[in-house]
Amino acid sequence: MKRVLFLVLALAIVPLLVKDRGSLYFMTLIMIWCIFALGYDLVFGVTGMLSFGHAAFFGIGSYVFALVVGKNAALFLLGVVAAAVAGGAAALLMAAIALRLSGIYFSLMTLAIAELFYFAASSPLRTLTGGEDGITGVPRPAFFGVSFYDDASFYLLVLVFFALALAGSALLRRSPFGQALNGVRVNEVRADQLGFDVKALKLAVFGISGAFGGVAGALLASLMQFVNPQGLHWSTSGDVVIMSLLGGIGTLFGPLIGVAVFETLKETISSRTVHWYGILGVIFIVVTMFMPRGLHGAFERARLRFARETWR
Amino acid sequence: MSVILIGLSLGMLLFLLAAGLTLVFGLLGVVNFAHGSLYMLGAYVALQLVAWTGSFWLALLLAPLAVGLVGGLLERLTLRRLYGRDPAYQLLITFGYILVIEEFIRMVWGVNFRSINPPSPLAGTTELFGSTVTDYRLFIIGFGLLLSLALFFVVERTRIGIVVRAASANSAMVSCLGIDVGKVRTGVFVAGAMLAAISGVVAAPLLPLKLGMSFTIIIDCFIVVVIGGLGNIRGAILGAMLIGMMRAVGQQFAADWIFLLTYGLLIATLIFRPEGLFNVRGRTA
Repeated sequence: MKRVLFLVLALAIVPLLVKDRGSLYFMTLIMIWCIFALGYDLVFGVTGMLSFGHAAFFGIGSYVFALVVGKNAALFLLGVVAAAVAGGAAALLMAAIALRLSGIYFSLMTLAIAELFYFAASSPLRTLTGGEDGITGVPRPAFFGVSFYDDASFYLLVLVFFALALAGSALLRRSPFGQALNGVRVNEVRADQLGFDVKALKLAVFGISGAFGGVAGALLASLMQFVNPQGLHWSTSGDVVIMSLLGGIGTLFGPLIGVAVFETLKETISSRTVHWYGILGVIFIVVTMFMPRGLHGAFERARLRFARETWR
Repeated sequence: MSVILIGLSLGMLLFLLAAGLTLVFGLLGVVNFAHGSLYMLGAYVALQLVAWTGSFWLALLLAPLAVGLVGGLLERLTLRRLYGRDPAYQLLITFGYILVIEEFIRMVWGVNFRSINPPSPLAGTTELFGSTVTDYRLFIIGFGLLLSLALFFVVERTRIGIVVRAASANSAMVSCLGIDVGKVRTGVFVAGAMLAAISGVVAAPLLPLKLGMSFTIIIDCFIVVVIGGLGNIRGAILGAMLIGMMRAVGQQFAADWIFLLTYGLLIATLIFRPEGLFNVRGRTA
């Protein structure tokens, strides 16, 4: 909890020091993806369910936010709450169907359902979603007489959500509920025999994770002032999987490291070559093979070795 | 009538893909996410070979060999090291392949739509049961049928097939009998990649070649496998035909809704018959 507080305070000082709009926009983007990745890790890292369908909750959050808010900046909070509820509900629905399968088939099923949402948004529902063109003119928030239009104040508003997500995730991991989820990951049969309702636990954590995704999607829509089906695309699910593995799954700070490294790599590589995604693929394969616990795990191991040697 | 033939040809393509996916899953326990990308790679390599040699038949022969080689390299270099680990990591590795293969295609062939003409002897049309169908569709149905029969023959009637089936059932036992299971795995992965590439080459004259084609097909393929019953290659035939028909009929009457329709079938199958529509012996996986 101390580290959480420290990180949030450090991030709160940033707008005082950094005045560059591009950098603030970039930091805001990172925090939004962190909210998404924190929610994702509850499912993948804590409970051990590999979901390839999280794009659905992210994208649905964006659309629901854009539709609820319309052009009215004052409805921001209502829009975010609606996005969280919609993301959570979609996640419950997806889990209820996909949990009829286990293991790898569960993963593929989540992907298939997410693709269903993608197709629905791109063509049959295009009167509502604007099809491939998307919805433009999504407002930045303004409520209680305060406008969050400029990048610095919007950054601080997103920081509040980021802090809530981080603290929420930390508390959830420590709670009895979080411990039970850990138990499900380590040995599902044993958890079941101990009297835990495994299916209910999985459904619950999926719903919570979906709500995180919905909030992240809503914030992204407001940041970019634009929504299109890309948020629902499978590559969004892929991105969050890559971020999680890159950072280190099952840890509180792993996803944050993963998001920051991913986005920074994307910024630096894509400014030099258009083939950034292929390079990312190679990095991803190497990390999956040689660093199964991600950058966070590698740091921890180095730190432990260092501590052991100094103690000796 | 032509709708039925179009459905049959789509079903044949889907079956060839699903068979490769099922085969690899049976032995390696890996759902190859990049199966669709290998299919796409097959189609693009064929495009290049046709441009160089002018012969579709040569492309149909050589492209699968090239893609098989790629598959073998991927298995040897990366997948092989992960067999002991959680299956999730194997799925993730094959997801990495998708990114790399897509990027390779973007680098070499660009993002524009490309197409291949059907080979000249099959460019015409035939009158059949009072409706016109392209000869190429008929070729796909015949070719798919032949290849499926050959596949069944190899898997069920030859020594190679026996080894593969035995290794799927109990790989430790097979390796105790003096068979190099590592080689069998590589071989099956190569065979799966070649099947994917063959479907890619055969499909190339029918569809525009574009980057998104890999993903559409892998999802369809997965739907076929689930509807047919997991790991059940006979069920996969019926699943492939059903989805092929739905696609063909849907394309004609309600193009916007086919995706929802096929997904509806998938979800309904999972809810009411999770062991697969055509599985009589009960659940196998």
